[in-house]
Amino acid sequence: MADPVTQTSSGGDFMVDVLKTLDLEYLAMNPASNFRGLHEAVINYGMNQKPEVITCPHEEIAFSIAQGYAKIEGKPMAAICHGTVGLQHASMALYNAWCDRVPIYAIIGNIVDAEKRLQQFEWVHSAIDPAAIVRDYVKWDDQPAALQHFAESAIRAYKIALTPPMGPLLLSLDAELQENPIPDRARLRIPALTRVIPSVADSGALAEAAHMLVSADNPVLICDRMARTPDGMTHLIELAEALQCAVVDARGRMNFPSRHPLNHSERKAAVIGEADVILAIEMNDLFAVTHSLSDRIERSTRPMYKSDTRIITLGSRDLLIKSNYQDFGRFTAVDMAIAGDGESSLPLLTEQVRKLLDAHRKTAFAARGKRLADAHRSVTEQFKSSATIGWDASPITTARLCAELYGQIQHEDWSLVGNGISVYWPHRLWDFNKSYSWNGASGGSGLGYNAPASTGGALANKRHGRLSVAIQGDGDLMYVPGTLWTAAHHRIPILYVMHNNRAYNQEYMYLQAMANRHNRGVTKAHIGTTITDPNVDFATVAKGFGVYSEGPITDPAQLGPALQRAVAVVKRGEPALVDVITDQR
Amino acid sequence: MSIRKLKSAVLLAMLAPFVGNAVWCEDAPAGDAAHGRSLFVTVGCYECHGRVGQGGTFNYAAPTLAHMALPLQGFKVLVRMGLNDMPAYKEQVLSDQDVADIHAYLSSLPGPRPVKDFPLLNQ
Repeated sequence: MADPVTQTSSGGDFMVDVLKTLDLEYLAMNPASNFRGLHEAVINYGMNQKPEVITCPHEEIAFSIAQGYAKIEGKPMAAICHGTVGLQHASMALYNAWCDRVPIYAIIGNIVDAEKRLQQFEWVHSAIDPAAIVRDYVKWDDQPAALQHFAESAIRAYKIALTPPMGPLLLSLDAELQENPIPDRARLRIPALTRVIPSVADSGALAEAAHMLVSADNPVLICDRMARTPDGMTHLIELAEALQCAVVDARGRMNFPSRHPLNHSERKAAVIGEADVILAIEMNDLFAVTHSLSDRIERSTRPMYKSDTRIITLGSRDLLIKSNYQDFGRFTAVDMAIAGDGESSLPLLTEQVRKLLDAHRKTAFAARGKRLADAHRSVTEQFKSSATIGWDASPITTARLCAELYGQIQHEDWSLVGNGISVYWPHRLWDFNKSYSWNGASGGSGLGYNAPASTGGALANKRHGRLSVAIQGDGDLMYVPGTLWTAAHHRIPILYVMHNNRAYNQEYMYLQAMANRHNRGVTKAHIGTTITDPNVDFATVAKGFGVYSEGPITDPAQLGPALQRAVAVVKRGEPALVDVITDQR
Repeated sequence: MSIRKLKSAVLLAMLAPFVGNAVWCEDAPAGDAAHGRSLFVTVGCYECHGRVGQGGTFNYAAPTLAHMALPLQGFKVLVRMGLNDMPAYKEQVLSDQDVADIHAYLSSLPGPRPVKDFPLLNQ
């Protein structure tokens, strides 16, 4: 029998049929040999539509784009890489997504059968269990042995990833399975996807929680990764307004409007210190948010709340915790732990609260709300006043940077898809009031997240016509500068505004603290922590990747006009970068 | 008494136990603001507090120091002991004169200006 040279079907084609049922818009990738079968099927059989390939120069970029996209769009996108060398590059992005409770539909290629591996590189690109290195931080993984097995696992994976608590999942696809002809297509079935309805907490428990909250003098709501959909913020506003109580938003998601008078995130210590009942919703690390942490020679912690404060937790956090990586934070003793999806449970809780409201309570709550509104207004005015300090200074203050940026975007349908580390001014000065106004942070605090995840957020915003903006740290972009090429290549409209302080500043400060402990002076703290000599010219870097750019800008008077020109470029549908030389924080 | 001065007074009261053990000279040397400005950068104060004392963040918010009203004696206590996560600067690293110079620099810095004069802050 002659050696066949063509085939009329492939396992990859069937895999595309399956993936199309999942409504995956994009497939981010850095090309790799052991998924060449699926890659070819996506672009030819699938016509490069749903999913459409997003070409990335690094796997960490591909997977981080998927993380940023999922948070804006509320559904996962796919990312694919080599099972060995690619997955090791992508592992940091998966860890961020795991800590951030974000679904990524991750796929890797592998050559399972040793007899089928030819050249040496196919051996080093194969593994018995390639998912092993990331299994601590993916929610589920599988390596299907046959196409029917793939169909069922592909649907199962999507279902698992989207069930709160969400997280990344991983499918390892054998190259033979992707490339070879389909033996019997008629026998293959694609199961229908039925999404799991997120669980609403026990009604009795919510009634008890409502009673505690309504009876309290100073209840406080704390939340982190609560809002999964645009409804999440609405539900939280309704609960907070029913109680007229303070809300502390840890900002893992766009949970609560920044200018709402009950938003007391910037008065966290004050309101938690006064609280007699705290309801913590979808918190990842409640301990850290509710304690003062002292990073001195004798490390210590102190609760911000009173000894008799009662704490209730509501969320899905307790339903999925793994052992090795310690992203779950320190154990916090609470009075009541309610399992259930936070967003889905809030309407019932609010209903229970409203049932308990009488005229007397409504009057008392209104007075409380007025006090809180006054305090919110006062803090906001303090921030504005502080923002004037060093207004004309160079390097440019982060307050001036954020004020100038907001001046250019405030009348647009903007979305802050990423922010530099510890740049708090946007939430102090800007009006965050839409579900996509803010896209959360990395989760795992792994550098190399912000640039690609912001780009992923912008990719999702693109079809909604929103203006995506990212405040971009220089240290972060140094990890993944190729992100700029992806943005240019795929015409992803996004404005990167460099917060270029020419340092890994948090590490500089840590090193300074260590040096001072030993009385050795701090004149060497720049060694290993600064990005100078040479200074990086990010505008030139961006130009090299085909991105419109301006800078470096050192004169604050030039900042507004530069941002205005860059915004015009982004509104035309292209990326732009403005390199701003900033003060440290 | 302004809020700023009141805060300073409260801070000094908190720090009183440490003041009794102070090892520096009680007659505070006159500060050289220009030298203090240079020191503020070279010893890394600006990393957390900003080059013009506008404040910033470390593990949490680092206070604004521009136009500081805290008297030199209280300022020295803070510098020598550190407050919260602030590293302590001992005499081997910063002399009393250096501390006085930095104090003079911070005191010379303009504080906040009227917000109404900044349209970008009234958006």
